[in-house]
Amino acid sequence: MSDLKVVRSIMRSAPSFADELRARSDEALQTLFKLRADLIAPVPSDMTALSIRATSGPSLVRAIESLNQWQFEVLEACVALEEPLSIKSIIAATDKAAAPIINELVDRALLYRDGEDLRAPRALRDMIGTQPAGLGPVGPAKVKFKDLDDAPKAAHEILQRLTWGPPRGQVGDVRKKGTAVAWLIEHHFLIPMDQTTVAMPREVGLFLRNGKVHKNISINAPELAGEKRKQSEIDRAAIAGISNILRWCNELMNFWAEETPSTLQAGGLGIRDLRKAAEHLGVTENCAAFVAELCYLSGLVVADPDGRVLPTSAFDMWQLRTPEEQWVEIANLWSLTSRVAGLVGKADSKNVNTLGAELDRANAATIRSHILKMLIEKTELAPSLESAQSFIQWVYPNRRGGTLHADLVEWTLREAEWLGITGQGALSSFGNRFIEDADSIKINEALPKPVDHILIQADNTAIAPGPLTIEISRHLSTFADIESRGGATVYRFSESSIRRGLDHGHSGDEIRTFLTKTSKTPMPQPLEYLITDVARKHGRLKVGYANTYLRCEDEATINQILGDKRLEHLRLRQIAPQVIVSDTESRETIEELRSAGYFPAGESNTGSVITAAGQTRAKSRPKPPRIIGEAVEPSQTILNSAVRALRAGEKASTRQPQRGAEVPRSTANETMDMLNKYIGEEVSLIIGYADTNGGVSQRIIDPISISLGTLVARDHGSGEVQHFRIPRITGVTPA
Amino acid sequence: MSDGPLIVQSDKTLLLDIDHPLSTECRRAIAPFAELEKSPEHIHTYRLTSLGLWNARAAGHDAEKVIDVLIKYSRFAIPHALLLDVAETMGRYGRLRLESDPIHGLILISTDPAVLQEVVRGKKVAPLLGARIDNETIAVHPSQRGHLKQALLRLGWPAEDFAGYVDGQAHEISLLEDGWNMREYQKLAAEGFWHGGSGVVVLPCGAGKTIVGAAAMAHAKATTLILVTNTVAARQWRDELLRRTNLNEDEIGEYSGAKKEIRPVTIATYQVMTTKKKGVFAHLDLFDGHDWGLIIYDEVHLLPAPIFRFTADIQSRRRLGLTATLVREDGMEGEVFSLIGPKRFDVPWKEIEAQGYIAPADCVEVRVTLTEHERLNYATAETENRYRVCATTATKKSVAMALAKFHENDQVLIIGQYIDQIDEISNDLGVPIIKGDTPVKEREILYNAFRNGEIKCLVVSKVANFSIDLPEASIAIQISGTFGSRQEEAQRLGRILRPKADGRGARFYSLVARDTVDQDFAQNRQRFLAEQGYSYRIIDADDVFTGKL
Repeated sequence: MSDLKVVRSIMRSAPSFADELRARSDEALQTLFKLRADLIAPVPSDMTALSIRATSGPSLVRAIESLNQWQFEVLEACVALEEPLSIKSIIAATDKAAAPIINELVDRALLYRDGEDLRAPRALRDMIGTQPAGLGPVGPAKVKFKDLDDAPKAAHEILQRLTWGPPRGQVGDVRKKGTAVAWLIEHHFLIPMDQTTVAMPREVGLFLRNGKVHKNISINAPELAGEKRKQSEIDRAAIAGISNILRWCNELMNFWAEETPSTLQAGGLGIRDLRKAAEHLGVTENCAAFVAELCYLSGLVVADPDGRVLPTSAFDMWQLRTPEEQWVEIANLWSLTSRVAGLVGKADSKNVNTLGAELDRANAATIRSHILKMLIEKTELAPSLESAQSFIQWVYPNRRGGTLHADLVEWTLREAEWLGITGQGALSSFGNRFIEDADSIKINEALPKPVDHILIQADNTAIAPGPLTIEISRHLSTFADIESRGGATVYRFSESSIRRGLDHGHSGDEIRTFLTKTSKTPMPQPLEYLITDVARKHGRLKVGYANTYLRCEDEATINQILGDKRLEHLRLRQIAPQVIVSDTESRETIEELRSAGYFPAGESNTGSVITAAGQTRAKSRPKPPRIIGEAVEPSQTILNSAVRALRAGEKASTRQPQRGAEVPRSTANETMDMLNKYIGEEVSLIIGYADTNGGVSQRIIDPISISLGTLVARDHGSGEVQHFRIPRITGVTPA
Repeated sequence: MSDGPLIVQSDKTLLLDIDHPLSTECRRAIAPFAELEKSPEHIHTYRLTSLGLWNARAAGHDAEKVIDVLIKYSRFAIPHALLLDVAETMGRYGRLRLESDPIHGLILISTDPAVLQEVVRGKKVAPLLGARIDNETIAVHPSQRGHLKQALLRLGWPAEDFAGYVDGQAHEISLLEDGWNMREYQKLAAEGFWHGGSGVVVLPCGAGKTIVGAAAMAHAKATTLILVTNTVAARQWRDELLRRTNLNEDEIGEYSGAKKEIRPVTIATYQVMTTKKKGVFAHLDLFDGHDWGLIIYDEVHLLPAPIFRFTADIQSRRRLGLTATLVREDGMEGEVFSLIGPKRFDVPWKEIEAQGYIAPADCVEVRVTLTEHERLNYATAETENRYRVCATTATKKSVAMALAKFHENDQVLIIGQYIDQIDEISNDLGVPIIKGDTPVKEREILYNAFRNGEIKCLVVSKVANFSIDLPEASIAIQISGTFGSRQEEAQRLGRILRPKADGRGARFYSLVARDTVDQDFAQNRQRFLAEQGYSYRIIDADDVFTGKL
């Protein structure tokens, strides 16, 4: 059979991956895009482009990562078996339960149909590697398994060691005669890879594995184990968590408005500031980092350009919303974000800071969503950490190594508890409604009703026996200090707190009236005395604002300046016989005085007086960090329009007239597709190749591989392996 | 969500709404494990501390019970983490036990080898331990029993002491209940202590702590060392013991600056115990040179640091601490817990007051205004003299005299810090005075006369502050006093809280100079008194002169 005939027979029997995609129904394509959302971001121009994207490295990595342990095992088995694959052969190599999985893999375009049979895209085989499931390379010669009966004992031992992988072994010298290795090589049970390495051929491996690809298969996820909880107790713990997390966010913002931390040079919040925040909230540093991140995500806090970390105007809006709205927002952001607060303070993540740039981890959101799904399946169960970790390891196997995967499970469970999605470790009904996207989570109903009164006591404290309404708590905190927080709030009145209230513009009478109105208990007489005392003393000393002062021991000069018409625009005010002040800048004043014929000299600066400001807010607009991570599952509208766009692109590309040249012209995508098809088929191709001057020459080549936009092939003309840039290949046809 | 009386805060304080119908029940339930911090009129504050939880464990309460109580009475949901923390803290008590073993002597035992391993690795603990006996047992140098308990407490693994006590030299002591009876809570306190081994009994001033001590001695029936704050208190103990027990004068010795008697029952002052001669404690022998069966520490919250050191060395003797408050200004509550023992009995002041054993007190702050001249004087005074300048204003004297006149039919005590000031007042009122240089004999005569009602009014200086029994003083007028410490207030109020024969309310006046540091101190005082639940009001000096009280 000539080369051409071989190629034709392959072409006839094996439709290209792109062809198969083209033949898929709209529904099937929508399913594919739903499962692999990255394929339509952006929508490819036509099916050829789609097939190339679907077999590109990054997309395949994503697709494979999204498989659970069992799906992956079936896929591995498919790659290990020889093509074309029949469903029967796959089941034989794995388990009956593989049948539905095969369809799922086809849905994901990790396998594609070839009539009754199946094929795996070549790039997928490369991705999984040459040793799928620890099986060796395909052997060059047929093996007679009967020979095994005569094999020396040592040979059996060697085979046994290689059976379940790794399939390669080191030997002294493959050429040494008379050894068990030599016997095995001779009978094709091993193939020499180099002078000291042997490998077990795939068919031998499969034979010794009794036709199965895996030693152990994990069809089902490991059973979750943990403690049983009562729903009522779970919900009670969860609502405590919910009210805590909302309070913490609120308090942290108020705390930072008063004691504003600055970011580190490397970005993010220093450990000292984090510790301070943790102390203020009365939580661990981990928890404080988590709260800070939640606030950052929802835009409640931002680092100003000058490095100050301040609450934004969004915080003021946020406070006006109901607890449920607040909670749903932070819980939503948490479930979607790629930022991992748990990394802060870990021993091996030194420069990873709260609100810093190093917190994104690609699989964080995926693991969170898997954990939420896991929780919803087992209600009233608080899964143990180990059990949750092995469960997630099955659903979303860790293929990247390291401990991050297990850590993420631990942190997600911890954070879910802080958020009140779980209570005592089991899914709360609030968490349930949140995951199911219910219209109402029923948090507002479950939280204690806001109270609109306080109890004032003789020790100068006021107690709010529940969460206060926002108006009262804001008003009260201007002239009382918070002493203890929790279900109730304990406020303390002191001389300094009352003075602060007066500074904010309240009068003593106002404070008294407000307290009398708000308190359920009579106002204790000593408190009235305290307010009166402070109010009486307040304001005896006057403080004002001026930019510049003029001082002169000669009162005549002072009077002269005050009377000077040319200086009227400086709006000078006399505050003492020898002192005048002005609101204009000192430099400007000096210049004006000079031009008016005086001889002023500047005095060294003292700090300017600032009157008590309102709550401090950042000047910048809220800038929550972008969520980067897994592509979100596309909506039906997007799916529909993606398919429509593809079909349209497809029509446009097929309508282009074929040129009559010997090597038909093809687009870069078509070129890639064809090259992909021929690589590994050991056929020679003719390509049109444009040189640097634009002239097209024809080359006969044997393609070897494609990488980085370059085709590596042996050129028949020069007999050497050469690199051909794919954009410069004008067309491909079998030689 | 229940609608209970208790609110659990995130800083581990518990707020108890006392107007709630379940508040009394709840108070009883939480008292064993939560320390009452303050008890103003509407909401009482308790605090969960490690020591408090361990005290509860020592008294036989387990974590489950504590958590049940919290959940049962809580108005709002309690964060899970807080409950876990309570369980964890309580679980730490008793994991390590000190026992005495017939072969190895004193041993430290743990059923949890990991805990033992952890503490053994502690730098401060290792030198106190002897050889490892097995996985769960390790020998302890008998001399280090106290130091080990201190070190373990600091590591957060308090050890339970089951190593027992020496009986001490036997001596017959029993109570003579003729014409008086022990109150129920006094009995409970003495029994609670005796069954617990060693520990502290917390009772308010005037609740009869001396009788609890006497009852403990009657349980021990052994020679007893009593440590008290000063000589006057020593004499009062002696008188009380003579009155309440079968002990006679020869059996009770006083060991103080003046006398050095050692008898079967010896009463020593803290001062003499901590006196150093040539850099060494000269009277240390009294502690370990005698075979005491019981050591009583009066006013444990004032126990000076060296006494703790001695106490660490005598852990095989039974120890009873008596105090009105476990709060120590120096924060050494942990030392009291590990060296004297856990709290064995506690009744809130208000409860005893409600039973009628102590009188309710009415606290009145009288604001006096400085004259123009005094104001200038005050403004220009050096910082260290400022308090003196404002506290000794002439107006105070006239107000004090007006008050004394107003209450001329009551037993009035006038308390002051500055000798010139009180001398002047005593002179002008023509009433006797007790100050630092008044001989002990004379003091006793005056106190007796005051008790009998022969003297209606008495002026005392700071010396009167500690442990002097002054029954029937129904009015106290404080004209000046040091720096508003919590203890001082407790003491001072203790003076007049004694039960009155006719059930009259006591009144506590404090004279305060307006707009001075005196007023700042007064604010601390007000806070403390209000926290203790006493009514507090402020009046003007003019109200005194016009009789509007």
